[in-house]
Amino acid sequence: MATKFLSPGRRGTSRGVSGRDREERRLAFRMTAPSLVLMALVAAVPIGYALWLSLNQYSVRTAGLSRFVGLDNYVAALTGTHWWAAFGQTFLFAGLSVSLELVLGTAMALLLNLAFKGRALLRTVVLLPYAVVTVVSAITWETMFQPNLGLVTNVLSTLGLPGGDVVWLGEHGYAMAVIVLADVWKTTPFAALIILAGLQVISAETYEAAELDGASKWQAFLYVTLPLLRPAIVLAAIFRTMDALRVFDLPFVLTRGANGTESMSMLAYTELRENRLVGEGSALSILTFLTVMVVSVVYIRFAGGNIREVAKEEQ
Amino acid sequence: MTLEKEANQAKEPLVDLIRPSSPSQEDTTAASVLSARKSATGSASRRRTRITAAAAAAMAAGLLLTACGGGAATQGTEAPAADPASAANATGSLNVCGGKDASGIYKGTVEAFTKANGKVTAKYTEIGATTDEARTQAVQRLEGKSSECDIFVTDVIWTSEFASQGWILDQTELVEASKDRFIPSTVETAKYEDKYWASPFFTNAGLVYYQKDKVAKPETWQQLYAEAAGAEGDSFVYQGKQYEGLTVNFLEMLYSAGGEVLDENGEVKIDSPETREVLDFMVQGLKDGAADRAVLTYNEDPARLAYESGNFGYQRNWPHVYRLLNATPLAGTFGVAPLPAWEGGKASGVLGGWNLAISAHSANQAGAVAFIDFATTPDWQKHVAMDFSQAPVNEAAYADPEVLAKMPFATELLASVKGAKPRPISPVYPQISQAIYKNVYAVLSGTATTENAVKTMAEELTAAKASF
Repeated sequence: MATKFLSPGRRGTSRGVSGRDREERRLAFRMTAPSLVLMALVAAVPIGYALWLSLNQYSVRTAGLSRFVGLDNYVAALTGTHWWAAFGQTFLFAGLSVSLELVLGTAMALLLNLAFKGRALLRTVVLLPYAVVTVVSAITWETMFQPNLGLVTNVLSTLGLPGGDVVWLGEHGYAMAVIVLADVWKTTPFAALIILAGLQVISAETYEAAELDGASKWQAFLYVTLPLLRPAIVLAAIFRTMDALRVFDLPFVLTRGANGTESMSMLAYTELRENRLVGEGSALSILTFLTVMVVSVVYIRFAGGNIREVAKEEQ
Repeated sequence: MTLEKEANQAKEPLVDLIRPSSPSQEDTTAASVLSARKSATGSASRRRTRITAAAAAAMAAGLLLTACGGGAATQGTEAPAADPASAANATGSLNVCGGKDASGIYKGTVEAFTKANGKVTAKYTEIGATTDEARTQAVQRLEGKSSECDIFVTDVIWTSEFASQGWILDQTELVEASKDRFIPSTVETAKYEDKYWASPFFTNAGLVYYQKDKVAKPETWQQLYAEAAGAEGDSFVYQGKQYEGLTVNFLEMLYSAGGEVLDENGEVKIDSPETREVLDFMVQGLKDGAADRAVLTYNEDPARLAYESGNFGYQRNWPHVYRLLNATPLAGTFGVAPLPAWEGGKASGVLGGWNLAISAHSANQAGAVAFIDFATTPDWQKHVAMDFSQAPVNEAAYADPEVLAKMPFATELLASVKGAKPRPISPVYPQISQAIYKNVYAVLSGTATTENAVKTMAEELTAAKASF
């Protein structure tokens, strides 16, 4: 995995396009055409279709009856309470889980980067939680946090710690904590792997230089490792945030959306699949899609600026 | 994706991140990067236009697709009906589809039918592990006009939806011809707009299981809660998770307290003193320990497993739990009672159960009619109870000595079934149920006051009823 994000050179100023350029561009277009068509088929068409569905209402009472309603479905979603509740809850989940995953992932990557016996094995083993199907891990967490019978609640009460008599998945706040925990457990290894790749391209010479200048270990981490690691951390953050904002399986299995854990995707699913409100559900899906897109663009803009600064400093 | 690409073009740094490349690799990357570097800003904006045009084309394609697929309305036509006489000449193969076969009744019935009929070969296909999943799968097949399934085993609450969508055959003639086989309330669950759309297969009603050594048989809900709060280890478990089961548990109390969701004319009646009384009663029960707070996470199985630990006095659950409890150390220590009455009111309940509906796209309707005829015979209904511990739809079966030997609580069960009322009948039932269980849950978990929840419930029910 490449970990340096350098800008691909400065773009030329406005200038006439030469014939050779034009020909080259045509060739480029011809060469990319098959993949563009494929993309249009697998991505643009379904999204366009969903967009069309979201502008209509489909009767749940009479088969085949529909009417065009323009932006009514969006207006209804944005003026109601359900969408905004799900919106806030999803961002709370994403914020908590992604920050924890980045901190723990960095720590894990630093450990895995040390030279020790069995490192290759450990690097593989660490990835195991990421290989478990989310629904399966969610059911396992549900069982562990069950009152009376669950492992976690039993251990907590045996040790006399607080939380043993809490109905974790039936309580506001606690339920969100379990969902965040389940997500952190599963995807921290993924973040660690990306950050580890970033660590490995930092040359030993940089550290030697820092040492010669009298930097302590902590200073070397703070002023050498972290800045050079930033692109990798940003990449991990983007991947994880986009995933977290689309979360569905964890709340669906653990709480069914109760206790302030209903996510944007869950809300769309309920409208679409359970209530067969195709237009309303599609509008919610498009809103979710737009939210995730806006967040990634903002992220990349913000992070991109940083990366350019880093690149300038390096020069 | 297209939009993302557009954003890509708009902002330079985005390209940097999506296509992370070292300076040396840059020279060999795709032609697009080359041209991006060489081209002028003017051409970049032209490219943007082209992408927008591509997006517009894709949209147009999407519109075309919908125009071809969705439009044709089929309302106003008379639904096709099943012909009772066709069963005699039935041959071929028959596919019965439904949820998980936990009690073995579906496979058992299919096998017995194949053996008894001789000409039709039936098999059972499991299309979902949970009730919700089975519904989603059935709806998918029906919307796609699939002929894979001839018969769908349908939950009693699906009838209106399936019938209104024209997904299943009108079974009015079939049901009328064998009406004397069924307990009247069970046939009502197959009714939508004065026609019958399915035949009852087996029914279901809530029961209270109680530890005879610790607590008394419940006569009223008030007495049950008082006893349950009396001592540690006597408390009550029910299904209080945010899902359909909570709607059932709540309605059982509401009905016995004299409340209702919709009246005969379909008007919303939830905003009533009875609703408030029941909600406050349930909340108080969680506060004083009559009901374990863990019920907020329980559906049927966790409630049963918790009760099996022996740390509880009462459990509300379905009849099939009897067989499972008898296989634990609790065997012989528990009693089975019909749902209690509300103090000063009467005992009531909510009717569950499963019906047999014929898919409108079935290629073997005659075989389906023959299967339904077999499954609802008084003789096979005895097996429903004896072999699978499910509640028959035929009243005589409950008094049969053979059945009583295997199902000693048959009398209590019949009382529960006969006292049970159906859930609101509507093609938008899923929305109605959500309005109920989400708001009841909010009160139980302490995130909403009774007053606010009742108001919201009424609003959401009215909105659901008004759906297009």
